[in-house]
Amino acid sequence: MRHGTGGSSSPETLVVSVGERSRGQSWWRTPTARRYLFGYTLLAPAILYVLLLVGVPFVFSLYLAMSDASVGAPVARFVGLENFKATLENATFYTALRNTLLFTIGAGIMKGVLGTTLAFLLLQPFRGRKVIRALVVVPFTLPIAVSVLGWKWMFDSQFSVINWALNKAHLIGAYGSPSWPVWLGEPSLALLSVMFVNVWRGFPFSAIVLLAGLTSIPPEIIDAAKVDGAPFLLRFRKVIVPMIAPILFIGSAFDTVFTLSDLSIVYLLTNVGPDGATEILPTLAYNTGIRGGALGRGAAISLFLFPLLLPAMILLLRTLRRKQY
Amino acid sequence: MATLAYAAPRTRRHRETRRHFLVYLGLAPFLVLAIFPILWMLITALKQDSDLYLSGANPFWFHLPPTWKNFDYLFHSTSYGDWIFVTMAVAFWVSMITILAAVPAGYALARLRLPFAENLGIGIFMTYLVPAIILFIPLSRVVSELQLQDSWWSLIVVYPTITIPFCTWLLMGFFKTVPFEIEEAAMVDGCSQLGALLRVVLPVSWPGIITAIIFSFTLSMQDFLYSLAFISVSDQKPVPLGVATELIRGDIYFWGSLMAGALIVGVPVAIVYNFFLDKFISGITGAAIK
Repeated sequence: MRHGTGGSSSPETLVVSVGERSRGQSWWRTPTARRYLFGYTLLAPAILYVLLLVGVPFVFSLYLAMSDASVGAPVARFVGLENFKATLENATFYTALRNTLLFTIGAGIMKGVLGTTLAFLLLQPFRGRKVIRALVVVPFTLPIAVSVLGWKWMFDSQFSVINWALNKAHLIGAYGSPSWPVWLGEPSLALLSVMFVNVWRGFPFSAIVLLAGLTSIPPEIIDAAKVDGAPFLLRFRKVIVPMIAPILFIGSAFDTVFTLSDLSIVYLLTNVGPDGATEILPTLAYNTGIRGGALGRGAAISLFLFPLLLPAMILLLRTLRRKQY
Repeated sequence: MATLAYAAPRTRRHRETRRHFLVYLGLAPFLVLAIFPILWMLITALKQDSDLYLSGANPFWFHLPPTWKNFDYLFHSTSYGDWIFVTMAVAFWVSMITILAAVPAGYALARLRLPFAENLGIGIFMTYLVPAIILFIPLSRVVSELQLQDSWWSLIVVYPTITIPFCTWLLMGFFKTVPFEIEEAAMVDGCSQLGALLRVVLPVSWPGIITAIIFSFTLSMQDFLYSLAFISVSDQKPVPLGVATELIRGDIYFWGSLMAGALIVGVPVAIVYNFFLDKFISGITGAAIK
């Protein structure tokens, strides 16, 4: 291995390696080898950290999911696919799966619509654009747990400021009347509220990502299409969309991952209520695995998220790789 | 075309005003949507308790004089001081670990022409996408093996799993923009590769490094799940967890203090994050734009 790498292919490497060998050096002392050694040494801490605390835990979660591990018992027994089977037989799991899908897709569409509208508005030149942009992105920059608490107060059953405004606008009746919405107390309204908070947090992200994509299109290209007489919709479809497609993929992939894996909105806003109507896979995994102490069962539930995450990850990987080469 | 613009400056300005008006009109709902909750939180934080529960009264109006009582309560009757300390300490140590791992890694991936560098870079970045929700159960086992349960040090161990991948990727992009010549010049002058990195490349790279530190800070303050899963002792909690768990007792919500406690940390984070948002976006989409 030591000599074989240097000596074979091109004439220059041959010369170099002959020169080295005559000085009695071996391959690992060549500048290239030293650079590699230096480089991989610099890489080692990051790679080790990620391997030990992301890679190993991921594999470990596969093992946990096939064991009866619990918080109290140190020794776990291998139970095969028992946890997955039990999960699939649990009615709550289907509620959680349905809500997760509904939540991710519904909120995704709303974020797409709102984000696109906002991006095109922010693309216009106008006075105060920077300030407005900075204000509009605030929902995304606030720590999620912080803003959810604000929303919980706004959705209060009696003192909801939203209801107060709706009441003043004569859209709903007084407190206690049947048309007074109890946002977090009725199953479908609660799910809608949870979705709404996710959309509220996510739409600035969609807008900013889209804006970054739109501003990266050289204006000459759009001008050229205009000169050629392409109407707006055609320009949009044939010029703008293909050019911003990669960045759109990346943006939506990230957003999907954020949304699928977030438990804090449901946990803090409704705590899966009323009567489990807003249960999603992350809360089910948390409540089973950590609160209930059934680590194995919890790990199995959270692994059901993986197939949902996979398309987003593959999409991202392909986009990144295509751009690199 | 030119004569037309000359002849009708008023219509042109008119049209410009109309366009502005339409854009503002379109943006108004977004602005209200984005900002109103924060304003509402602020009003709540400054209200006296009994002022919060007036049925039918205009909730935007202070019917009783505004008060700092809610802030007072936080600092004197809860562990809020501890929570702030924990939040800052965790963010500090996470940034340190992240910088120590991500700066060398980003540099090596960007500049040393290593075999598999691109794939390794993508590989590290992809781990950013393995969400906490899949890792928190196995990591809870790791945390208890390390005897760090109910200690904020557990967060210092796990947050770098989010920040190292992201910052390595960010810094890799950054180091690619530092010209190769300065490093080569330094090496011609007799610097070793390490010497060139420390004496020439790092000093011109501080904007990238500062950005990475800021993100380690803000990303570690955005977390909720890990702290919820690992910590249940009051004085070890970071602010978001502390506020969300200790100011709600059963059915009783301390709304004023909740909002106060959330805003004290949320607003500074939002402001700092705001300034670096474009870097964040280009960090995660960087490869797609070029």
